[in-house]
Amino acid sequence: MRARTRTSRRVVVLATVATMGTGLLAGCADDGGDKASDGSSSGGGKGKTTITMGLFGTMGFKEAGLYAEYEKLNPNIKIAENVIERNENYYPALVNHLTTNSGLQDVQAVEVANIAEVVATQGAKLQDLSKVSGVEKGNWLDWKWSQATTKDSKTVGLGTDVGPMALCYRTDLFQQAGLPTDPAEVGKLWAGDWNKFISVGEQYKKKAPKGTFFMDSPGGLLNAVLSSEKEKFYDSSGEVIYKSNPAVKAAFDLTAKAAEQGLVQAQTQFQPAWDTTIANSKFATVACPPWMLGTLKGKSKPESLGKWAVAVAPKSGNWGGSFLAVPSSGKNVKEAEKLVAWLTAPEQQAKLFKVQGSFPSTPSAYTMPEVTGAKNEMTGDLNIGTIFAEAAKAAPVQVIGPKDQIIQQGLTDNGVILVTKGKSPEEAWKTATKTIDNNLDK
Amino acid sequence: MATHDTAAPPAKEGGAAPGRPPAGPTGAERRRARLSRRWQRDMRWSPYAFVSPFFLLFLAFGLFPLIYTGWASLHQVEMTAPTDMHWVGLRNYTRIFDDDFFWNAAKNTLTIGIISTVPQLLMAMGLAHILNYKLRASTFYRVAMLAPYATSIAAASLVFVLLFGRDYGMINWALDFVGIGPIDWQSDKWPSQIAVSTIVIWRWTGYNALIYLAAMQAIPQDLYESAALDGASRWKQFIHVTLPSLRPTILFTVVVSTIGATQVFGEPLLFDANKGASGGSEHQFQTLGLYLYEQGWVNQHLGRASAIAWTMFLILIVVGIVNYVISRRLRASS
Amino acid sequence: MTTTTSMTPPSSPPDTTVKKPGRMRRPKSARAGGQMHAGPIAYVILALFTIGSLFPLVWTAIAASRDNNRLAQTPPPFWFGGNLLDNLDIAWNDANLGEAFFNTTIVAGTSAATVVFLSTIAGFAFAKLKFRGRGAMMLIVIGTMMVPPQLSVIPLYMMVAKLEWTDQLQAVILPSLVSAFGVFFMRQYLIQALPDEIIEAARVDGASSWRVVWHVVFPAARPAMAVLGMLMFVQTWNDFLWPFLVLSQTGNPTVQVAVAGLGRGYTPDQSLIMAGALLGTLPLLLVFAIFGKQIVGGIMQGAVKG
Repeated sequence: MRARTRTSRRVVVLATVATMGTGLLAGCADDGGDKASDGSSSGGGKGKTTITMGLFGTMGFKEAGLYAEYEKLNPNIKIAENVIERNENYYPALVNHLTTNSGLQDVQAVEVANIAEVVATQGAKLQDLSKVSGVEKGNWLDWKWSQATTKDSKTVGLGTDVGPMALCYRTDLFQQAGLPTDPAEVGKLWAGDWNKFISVGEQYKKKAPKGTFFMDSPGGLLNAVLSSEKEKFYDSSGEVIYKSNPAVKAAFDLTAKAAEQGLVQAQTQFQPAWDTTIANSKFATVACPPWMLGTLKGKSKPESLGKWAVAVAPKSGNWGGSFLAVPSSGKNVKEAEKLVAWLTAPEQQAKLFKVQGSFPSTPSAYTMPEVTGAKNEMTGDLNIGTIFAEAAKAAPVQVIGPKDQIIQQGLTDNGVILVTKGKSPEEAWKTATKTIDNNLDK
Repeated sequence: MATHDTAAPPAKEGGAAPGRPPAGPTGAERRRARLSRRWQRDMRWSPYAFVSPFFLLFLAFGLFPLIYTGWASLHQVEMTAPTDMHWVGLRNYTRIFDDDFFWNAAKNTLTIGIISTVPQLLMAMGLAHILNYKLRASTFYRVAMLAPYATSIAAASLVFVLLFGRDYGMINWALDFVGIGPIDWQSDKWPSQIAVSTIVIWRWTGYNALIYLAAMQAIPQDLYESAALDGASRWKQFIHVTLPSLRPTILFTVVVSTIGATQVFGEPLLFDANKGASGGSEHQFQTLGLYLYEQGWVNQHLGRASAIAWTMFLILIVVGIVNYVISRRLRASS
Repeated sequence: MTTTTSMTPPSSPPDTTVKKPGRMRRPKSARAGGQMHAGPIAYVILALFTIGSLFPLVWTAIAASRDNNRLAQTPPPFWFGGNLLDNLDIAWNDANLGEAFFNTTIVAGTSAATVVFLSTIAGFAFAKLKFRGRGAMMLIVIGTMMVPPQLSVIPLYMMVAKLEWTDQLQAVILPSLVSAFGVFFMRQYLIQALPDEIIEAARVDGASSWRVVWHVVFPAARPAMAVLGMLMFVQTWNDFLWPFLVLSQTGNPTVQVAVAGLGRGYTPDQSLIMAGALLGTLPLLLVFAIFGKQIVGGIMQGAVKG
C-alpha cells in the first residue's frame, strides 16, 4: 500500500511538473513567436520585413512563383501566406477579425461573393488602394473596379482575377447526339438566348448517349443564367428585389423546366458525387469560367483529355474572382499596399492565368501572349484565351449586394435541386423563398 | 506543495513557538485549541478554495460570453458590427414560436439524438458483455474500438461523406450485393439522419463499451453465483444482476450522451459542406446546433442566434429537471 | 507495485503481452465477470465491430495514397496506391506540421493537465465536502455543460482581441480550462471511489484539507485523472473552430489550423486533404496503438462506475 501511494505521488508530482513545464514552454513559444513577428515588422533582425497574406483556397500566387519573384525584386521583403481552403471558413473569421481589428494579416483576400458586404460594412477599416502609386483605375474592367469601391469612392480592394463565363461541352457526346462540334457553330445554336440553350438540350436528349445528361447540375445552369443579368437580387439603390425581379423568376423557371425534362443531373456542384460524374463522362455541358477547365482536369480520367471544347455562352456573365485588401491596422501597411499593387498588375495577372487558370481582370493583359496563346489540355488545340477575353468584356456591369451568396444558395440548394428530386417548381420556389427570407431576416 | 503546507504554520506563528516545550500541559492545550481553530477554519473554507479555480476561470471565460449572448439576444445585432445593437426586447424569442426552421431543427435534434444515442449505448452494452468473456487478444479489440474516438469530427465526416456517396459510395456498393437499391444518403430524410448518426455512433460506441465493461467487471462474482444457484439462465442473470448493477453507469452515459446529442453540429455541418449550414436541401438533417451556427456564422445574425442558443439552453434545463423528477420518482417507487 | 513503468513493453505486439504475464495489476479483472470462454459467435461479432471501427481509418489512408483523379472514379479504390508518401510529404511541408505538432502538444498537454488538476480538487469538494451553496454551485457546473459552445465564440473572441492574445497559444489554452464536464466527471468518480472513512481517518490524524487532497484524494482519483486527461487531450487536439479563429498558420498554428489550407486550388485535392486529416490524427492513433493497453486499462479503472 505504501509503495503504491509513493508511485502515485510521483505520478502526481510528475503531472504537476508537466503542467508547469508545458506552461513555461508555452510561454517560451509565445515569446518566440512575438520576437519573430516583432523583428519582422520593425525591420530589425536581418533587416527583412515579412508581409503576411491571408488567403482562401483558390488564389495561387505562391504556386505561380509570384512571391519568389517579388522577393527577388525586393530583397528586404519576405512573404508568408496563411491559406484556408474553403471560403466558408475563411470569410466569417475575416469579418470577426475586421470588427475587432485583431488577428488580421497584412493583406486579406475577399471573394466576389463577399465584396459587397465588406465594402458596405468594413470599408472604414481598409486602406484606399486607388491612391497607391502605380494603381490606375483604367487598368481594370470597369465593373471589377466599381465592385470594390465604396459610396464615397474609396477603393478598398484591387481585383485579382475574374471568371468570364463560357460554355464547355464534350465534342464526342455532341457528335453522338448529332449536334455540331465546332465552337463557332455550337455558339450560334444558342446565341443570345438561354431558351435556345434549353432547346439544344432537348435536341441532345433525343439522341443522347445512354446514361448522359445535357448539363451538369441545376445549380450550374441557374448560376449561369443569373450571372448574365444586369440586376439579380438587389436593385441599384440596395433594396433586395430577388422575389419581385422577373429575371430571377425567369431564370428559376427555366432551370426548373430543364430539371423537369431531365436535362440536368440531380447533382450539387463540387460535391464528391458531382466529381464522379465528371470522371465518368456523365454530362455534355457545363457553364465554364477558365478555372472550371482546371476542375474538369482534376477530376477526369486521362482519356477525356482533349475531348472538351469551349463555346460562347448565350449571354456572357461572370462567375467568381477575388480582390486583395489591406487592413489599415496592419503592421506593414505601406509595404503591403505596394505588394498588392504589384500582384494585381496586368503582367502578374497574365502569369497567374498561365499557371493557375485565374483569368485577368485587367483588359491590357488580354493581348499578352500568356492569354492570346492560351491552350488547355482539356480542349486540345482550341485557342481559349480569346473566347474568355470576349466574354469578360461582354459581361454586364452587374449590381451586387451583401447577401447575394445566401440568396443564390437558397435558390440553388433549397430550390432548383428539389425539382430534380421530384418536387414541383412551385413547391421548390416556395421552399427556396421561405429559406431565404428567414436567412435574410435580422 | 504538501511539505510547504505543513512547514509553513510553525514558521508563521513562530513567535509563540520557542516557549512551547517547557510550557507543560497548558501550552499543549493552547496549541491544540489553536490547531483546532485552524482546523475549523480549514474545514470551513477549503471547499471554497477547491472549487474557486474552476469558478474563477468560469467567470473569466464562461460568464462573459453567456451574459453577452444573453444581452445580444434582446437586440438586433449583426456579426459585421457586434457592438452596434438595436433593442428589440423579446422579439428574438417570440419569433421562435413561428419559426418553422427552429422547430424542424428541434425535431431533427431529437430524432438524430435518439438514432445516435440508443443504438450506440445498446451496442456498447452488448460489446461490453462480449468483451467480458475470456478472450484471446482482448486488448487488441479494446484498442481497435477506441481508435475512432481519437479521430477528429472533421476527419471522420470527410471519410463518411465519401463512404455514403449515392452513386459510387462504398456503402451503397455493399448494399447492392444484398439487393438493396442505391440509397440517397444525403437528400432523403431518414437515410441522411441515419448517416449523420452513424458518424456519432462510430466515434463513441467503443468508448462507452469500455465504460460499461469496467462497470461490469466491478460487479461481485458471488451475485452471479447465487443467481446461477437459483437456476437463472444467462439472459436472466444479465437482466437481473448485470443491468441493475450498471444503473448508475448507464445514467451517467445517458446524461453525457444526451447533452452531447443536443449539441451535435459538426457532423451534420460537414456531412453536406457544399450546402452551407442548412443541413440538406430541405433542412432534413439540420440540428439546433447547426441552425444556431447558420444564423450566427453564415447569416451573421448574432441577436437571433443568441436567442436560439438561450432557448436551447432553457429547453435542456427543463428536460434536465423533468429527467431528474422522473428518475427520483422511479427510485422512490422501487 | 512500482510496476507501472516496468510493465510497459510499449511496442511489443498485443498478442504476446496479453497471454499470461499480465493480470498482475488488478486481480479483480481476472476474477470479475467473464469466467466463461467466448464462443465463436462472440468472435464473429467482435471481428465485425473491429472492422467497422478500423475500416474508415484505413480508408482514409487509402484515399491519401491515391490522387485526385482516382478518387473521383468508380468504383472507389479498395487498396493502397503509390502516392501515400508523396502526399504525406507535401502535407507535412506545406502545412508546416512540425511546428504545429509542437504547438498542439503544448496546448493539449497544458490544458489536459490543468483541467485534470482543477477538476479533481473541485470534484472532490463537490463529492465529499459539505459547504454552503454546494448544491447551487453544482447546478451551475451542470448548467455550464449545457451551454451550446458555438456561440460563445464571438464574445470570447472580442475578449481575446482586447487582451491582444491573437496568434498566441494562451488564447487557446485558457478558455479550454473551463471544463464543467471535468468537474462533473471527477465528482461522479470520487463519490464511489473514495470511501468517507479514509477521509475521516486522515482527518482524525489531524491532516489539513490540502494534505487530504494530496495523500488521499489524488491516489484514489488517479485512474479517473488519467482518463479525464486523455479525454481532454484528444478533445483539445482535435478542436477546430476556436483555434482557427484565434491562431493562424503564420502565428502559432495548431495541427487543425495548419491542415486547413491543404488541398487548395480550384480543384480541391481530396487526396491531399485526406493526407492532412491522416497526419492530424496519426499522432493520437500512434499513442493509442503503443499505449493502448495502458489507456484501456486507465479507462477501465477510471470509468465512472456510479
